[in-house]
Amino acid sequence: MANDSTGAIEFTIDKFIFRFPQNLRYSRDGLWVMQEGSVLRIGIADFVQQRNGDIAFATLIPAETNVKAGDEIASIETVKVNFSLPSPVSGKVVEINASLQNSPELINLEPYGKGWLVALQPADPEGDLGALMTAEAYSNWARQLAEAEMRS
Amino acid sequence: MPRTATYHTTVQWKGEHRGRILMGNGPEMEFSAPPDAQGHAGVLTPEDAFVAAVNTCVMMMFLWSAERFKLDLVSYECLGEGTKLIELDRTELFTQVLLRPRIVVRADEADRDGAMKRLRRAIDSAVKYSLVANSIKSKLVLEPEIIIVPQAVPAQ
Repeated sequence: MANDSTGAIEFTIDKFIFRFPQNLRYSRDGLWVMQEGSVLRIGIADFVQQRNGDIAFATLIPAETNVKAGDEIASIETVKVNFSLPSPVSGKVVEINASLQNSPELINLEPYGKGWLVALQPADPEGDLGALMTAEAYSNWARQLAEAEMRS
Repeated sequence: MPRTATYHTTVQWKGEHRGRILMGNGPEMEFSAPPDAQGHAGVLTPEDAFVAAVNTCVMMMFLWSAERFKLDLVSYECLGEGTKLIELDRTELFTQVLLRPRIVVRADEADRDGAMKRLRRAIDSAVKYSLVANSIKSKLVLEPEIIIVPQAVPAQ
């Protein structure tokens, strides 16, 4: 494991390089969470976007929806698989990334930037963020998953 | 998810420059070399099989990705052309495989731009995820002709 020039943690498995910015928190389901004042912006971590392939459609939960941690906030259809993403925190959706409707590939191209999914007003900011993993912890978790899959 | 899979073919010499191949998926046929390489006309050749492997694999992957991108496919037809290089020492290799797919997709006028964008992504994905395209060392070139037709045009 190493830090890249931007300070993100990265690891390489086979020919794949996965990056995890250290200013973000991560859920075990592979979502990142960034605190922006009182709002939490959420997206898909590099490991999950690379592992599931080219994204064809991203369907997001509507703005103004109240969600609990574990509720679906997005369903993703890639060239290879469909999968659902559970919210890592509880709160109210205050913004969704409308660009993903016509350009879902942004999730693949810029998973930590223009490919963000939704922004939430958290119900319990301290508790929710505290329960998430650091970049180091998540990268260790992702590496275990990747290595287990390579061995299978 | 298994990390590997295996596929088999069996070949048998049938005299002269002729053989018979049994494909793992069932078909059985004669083969030879091309007539310009001391083979016989009218049967499968390794050269044709190589270009066909790329062409068929990319098409099958395109059909899959077109479904995943929710495209209303009307027709797909593709000419594949392999370019053989004869080296100074008389060894030979395919340096390039050119695919010229003609793809017709049906779309609402209001979704024309969206369908075009999804179609281009489906083509890119077809090449990216094609097992055979990923396995060759020849350069793969795609020159698609794309046609979007209105909803009223029936499927072929």
